[in-house]
Amino acid sequence: MISATTFGGADIDTQLIAKSTFLVIDDFLGMRGMLSSVLRNCGANPKSIDTASNGPEAIQQLAKRRYDIVLCDFNLGAGQNGMQVLEEAKHKSLIGPSCCWIMVTAEKTVDTVMGTAEVQPDAYLIKPVTEAVLTARIAKIKAKKEAFVDIDRAISARDFLKAIRLCEERAAVDKANAIELLRIKCDLQMQSGQSDKARQTYEKILAARDVPWAQLGLARIHQQAGRHDAACQLLEQLIEQNRSYLDAYDSLAESYQALGENEKAETILDRAVALSPNSHSRQRIIGELALKTGKLDRAEKAFRKTLKLAEHSVRKTPDAYLGLARTVGAKADPQEALNVLNQMDKLFDNDEVRLRSKSVEGYVYHQNGLARQAAEAARDLASMLDRSSVRPEPLATREMAELLLVAGNRDKGLALLRTEVMNNPDDVRTVDAVQAIFRKVGLADEGSNLVETSRKEAGELMNAGILLARDGNYTDAIERMRAALERMPRNVRLLLNAAHIMLSYMERDGSQAALLRETKRNLLAANQLSPSEPRFVELMQRLEALQGR
Amino acid sequence: MSHLPKPDASLFLASSVHDMKNSISVLQDTIRRLLAKAAPDESGEYHEMSQMLYETQRINGNLIQLLTLYKFGHDLYPFNPETQEIAEFARSAVSHVTPLLTSRQIGLEVELEDDCYWEFDTDLVNGIVVHAMNNAVQYTKDALRLQIETVDDALEIRIEDNGRGFPQHMVDDGIAAMRGVNFSTGSTGLGLYFAAVVAQMHGNRKERGSIRLENGGKLGGGCFILRLP
Repeated sequence: MISATTFGGADIDTQLIAKSTFLVIDDFLGMRGMLSSVLRNCGANPKSIDTASNGPEAIQQLAKRRYDIVLCDFNLGAGQNGMQVLEEAKHKSLIGPSCCWIMVTAEKTVDTVMGTAEVQPDAYLIKPVTEAVLTARIAKIKAKKEAFVDIDRAISARDFLKAIRLCEERAAVDKANAIELLRIKCDLQMQSGQSDKARQTYEKILAARDVPWAQLGLARIHQQAGRHDAACQLLEQLIEQNRSYLDAYDSLAESYQALGENEKAETILDRAVALSPNSHSRQRIIGELALKTGKLDRAEKAFRKTLKLAEHSVRKTPDAYLGLARTVGAKADPQEALNVLNQMDKLFDNDEVRLRSKSVEGYVYHQNGLARQAAEAARDLASMLDRSSVRPEPLATREMAELLLVAGNRDKGLALLRTEVMNNPDDVRTVDAVQAIFRKVGLADEGSNLVETSRKEAGELMNAGILLARDGNYTDAIERMRAALERMPRNVRLLLNAAHIMLSYMERDGSQAALLRETKRNLLAANQLSPSEPRFVELMQRLEALQGR
Repeated sequence: MSHLPKPDASLFLASSVHDMKNSISVLQDTIRRLLAKAAPDESGEYHEMSQMLYETQRINGNLIQLLTLYKFGHDLYPFNPETQEIAEFARSAVSHVTPLLTSRQIGLEVELEDDCYWEFDTDLVNGIVVHAMNNAVQYTKDALRLQIETVDDALEIRIEDNGRGFPQHMVDDGIAAMRGVNFSTGSTGLGLYFAAVVAQMHGNRKERGSIRLENGGKLGGGCFILRLP
């Protein structure tokens, strides 16, 4: 039993506060004064406390001085909100991993607490903030940062196996963070093709308590395996019990779309927007869905909203511009589409965006019957493809191919589609999508022929290497695999088989530093393309064993 | 007014409460600092300041509860249970009432189960505990007690005082009697209703959370008990 007065002051590391630097960001003068006085009462040196009243001011201060602790109001009036200031500070590397960023809010909302932003503050505090709460929270964040530093490092190096081991070690001794560590561990297992192990953990947790993230985890396992019906059932139930769990809404919308239930996907996304109106990525998904179902007015509205919401964010992406350009193009306004693309080109300076921009431009011309301009865009696109080795994600690449096929550069278009099939020879959806393009441009027979020969060629190229390896001729086998990867750099099976052959070679004849690096690159590339691939872990373990020697 | 749509207060509820809370936070902080500087004496001023602090804390608590209930009703509240170290939770809750207790020379006993962690929505439960302690200050003679421990697979948070206790009908009727305004006692029932709703939101497997009132306890006065499975 303890008395109130000594109790309030327990466990406070005054040293930690006394030597720290602070930035207080709040648009309200009274609050800035109050938070500064709370900090002084906690033992902060008045000279170590700076203040800022809005985003740009805060960024300026952060660029000038290193702060250990930032207290930031979420609501900063017009302009950037607290989350966007944090995003920009992270993006510009103005704060390091040891900086404690504490978001102060007047009220708890879905947006402030569960914003889907990838950047999260270290803590949220609800006003009023007392000295005891603040000091306890700072001490807790510091301890957690120390505990997680190795794990975070392993995760950013995409060293999943090590990160999982560290989570297990830590969870055994750290009761306060045990649940969080378990959640991270399951995420890592899902990302490294070990969904079986993650499922066992989720089920064990759920046997004892109703834990929403474990339920979501089970649903995601269904999704990975393509069992969208089962996923929908779980997710509908989960949302019924947890009305503000936004991640569940987004997952459910994905599964509805996979099942072709676009109306339902639309409804569930609208409900998520009502809960959290400020997510630009969700608005973009709504726009893409509406464009797909031909609801052009709705699509335009959603894309424009996306751009507006992302206006002050450093994390804008070109997708909403591309979507908007396609939408207004489909509404027979090619001039406006061009304006949108021009705006985008000014903001993003890289090959991928340039390729996609040109491709959408040509498509819009074609769609509006402007054959000459479409042919010109296709020609430009073809020469850009010659100069750059960058290839956008599959959907955008298929769109480029379609333009090239309809607007006169047939060989280039065929080559792109051939590579697409060779990258995914066993994926029904890719093959269907490619066939659909051929049907659309009136080349159905040619399409079937190309798909057949591409699949055959992909198999032959890979098998040539495998047969050589089987005979123990590893050096030639590796050469063949490298040549095959030149032709189909995103073929997951090929990447894994190449890694397997390289590992077998080194297991027999000893490690080589350059080959170890090449093997790891192939494995990580395969994992990024297909996180659920179970062979990844086994191959990674063999790689680790070789590195350890 | 004719061109405006039918008035809807809920449009302004969130933003106004937000705004009012900023003002109250500053006000509360000022009073706390004035109280800390002033010597506790028998003078009327000190007592009045202490009463002001009590009133601002009550307003703050009520505002949060109203806004939160509005959000519950519209599925807008981000309910997120997290693992919480009980000692830290208690320290934080107590810190919100310490200035008031000190100014009224009310003692506080805290008894916690050692090495205890539990999962609940920290902000909601903190709100209930602070509000309950604040409320008990008005009815106690000179002592409060906060006790947190696990009882039959649930966490029980008890707030006890050494006042005259709750009227017997409140203890008997349970939460059924906790609604409706009682102008004679100044109680709107909001606090208890809010606590009951929040308790219900917490649950595990088949059991839901609950609240109850008792008289007696270790201090012999009123006891408010929040049970979270």
